[in-house]
Amino acid sequence: MKVALLSESPADEAALRVLVAAVLRRPLDFVGPGYRARGWPNVAQVMPAVLRHLHFNTDADALVVVVDADDSVVHTAEHDRPGYFHPHCRMCRLRAVHRQTTRRFPAINGRERVLRSVGVAVPAIEAWYLCGRDDQVTEAAWLAGAQSGRAPYSRAELKLRVYGTDRPSLALEIERALAEVERHRVDTRRLEHEFPGFAALATDLRSGVSPAQGRAEML
Amino acid sequence: MIASIAFHRFRALRDTRVSLAPFNLVVGPNGSGKTSLMEAILRLRTLSALPVSEVPFRREMAGPEIEFGFDPPFDGLRVKLGCESDAVCDTLRLEPAGGGRWGDLRWRLSTVRGYVLDHDALAGPGRREDGAELARDGGNLAAVLSHLQREQPAAFAGLVAEALRLMPEFRALLIEDRPEGLVGLSLQLVEGAVLPASELSQGTLYLLGLLALAFDPRPPRLLCIEEIDRGLHPRTLRQVRDLLYRLAYPVDGREPVQVLTTSHSPYFIDLFRDHPEEVIISQKVGRAARFERLSDRPDLPELLQEGSLGDMWFSGILGGVPEER
Repeated sequence: MKVALLSESPADEAALRVLVAAVLRRPLDFVGPGYRARGWPNVAQVMPAVLRHLHFNTDADALVVVVDADDSVVHTAEHDRPGYFHPHCRMCRLRAVHRQTTRRFPAINGRERVLRSVGVAVPAIEAWYLCGRDDQVTEAAWLAGAQSGRAPYSRAELKLRVYGTDRPSLALEIERALAEVERHRVDTRRLEHEFPGFAALATDLRSGVSPAQGRAEML
Repeated sequence: MIASIAFHRFRALRDTRVSLAPFNLVVGPNGSGKTSLMEAILRLRTLSALPVSEVPFRREMAGPEIEFGFDPPFDGLRVKLGCESDAVCDTLRLEPAGGGRWGDLRWRLSTVRGYVLDHDALAGPGRREDGAELARDGGNLAAVLSHLQREQPAAFAGLVAEALRLMPEFRALLIEDRPEGLVGLSLQLVEGAVLPASELSQGTLYLLGLLALAFDPRPPRLLCIEEIDRGLHPRTLRQVRDLLYRLAYPVDGREPVQVLTTSHSPYFIDLFRDHPEEVIISQKVGRAARFERLSDRPDLPELLQEGSLGDMWFSGILGGVPEER
């Protein structure tokens, strides 16, 4: 299976390679170099072009996109109702971008479309890194904080806990990211349980894979 | 080291003041005072080596004036440069006169360096004995690296390791002695071919120049670098910022270096989303210019939810863009 990654930094990409492989439990080829966006909303802006390129110019099976939620509306089960779309939810936005972009594409080389796999790290990917190390850091805790008006932690605090500094070098970010996701290399269930924004990505990946063909199929 | 600079009648900086942080990125249109800010600091370095003027500190002068305040332990001192014109600044006044820590501060000011790196100069060979300090245009880069290799082999090894990490197409940095006391540098490709400096890309040379500064075992207390993004791919800019942070926020026991740099790259500005206090916007209105700290803008958190910092700057929302007719 060939997977393309659209992320915000090389550190995110390094961690995602491990996590995607952990979810699929199969040998993977990654499209390189990885695609990069300049944070939100640039991810949504470049995603149609990335999808078009992947569809017409490559044999990639899936595009994995991960963004930080920051202070946006957190995706909940209610958003998954048929026809529902929350304009301030980044998961809803990115899924819509994929849907609207790929619906115009003709089948090519036996492939209907590039598989969508969207993850939203709430509030930032450093929260995923702390899963299994800090029980207080969960998507539910962030959501409860948002509802009560008292955030349990800030994005800056999460970065400090992961990197030990508020100005980590890229090399340190990559080193820490790889060290932290190592806990999930053989089992992603805890990460999926505590971070539905990651579970959505995992579900996308698994549901698009046809074990018989070893190919991604359209969702 | 320098906490603030106030400008009066100096070029486009008619009446403005800027507070400086440990790291400072100055962005703005051409002619908005970015270079003047750095030149003022370099003039302070030059004049601080000379005797202090007898003219009273508070006497108002007719020509341009530039006043400096300092971080602790020098916060009790103030320095004012008096200029005859925009081009000639020839007096330095000190308050309090005969300030007790002036000698120590003056030594620190003597280490200030300013850089406008030039790829042609960076590529040239240097005189072997001329490598103690990187020249303003980087023209003695090969000599500096040769000096580092001889005098600080551990630092040189660190520099080479970082260079090869940033540029994985290479596997070795080579310093070679040449006739008549010259040294040259080259990079060896992973495949084995050796590229002399004259055949390296501009961006590669700029990166090597920045690495020489970042790994300098005796760095200045204040460093000014113009156009930090020049010749570099946007994806490389994060590592460039890391190199500068390595100086400003050292973790290896070195003294911190106050850094001022300029850029016209929205991609570089993006990197300061989490630290807007490090960004200075130079605003130009007519022929006058002034400085504003990005973090002083109260609606910045809301604006950043709508797009990247670089896009916000380019759009003009934050100011610091050229006037158009």
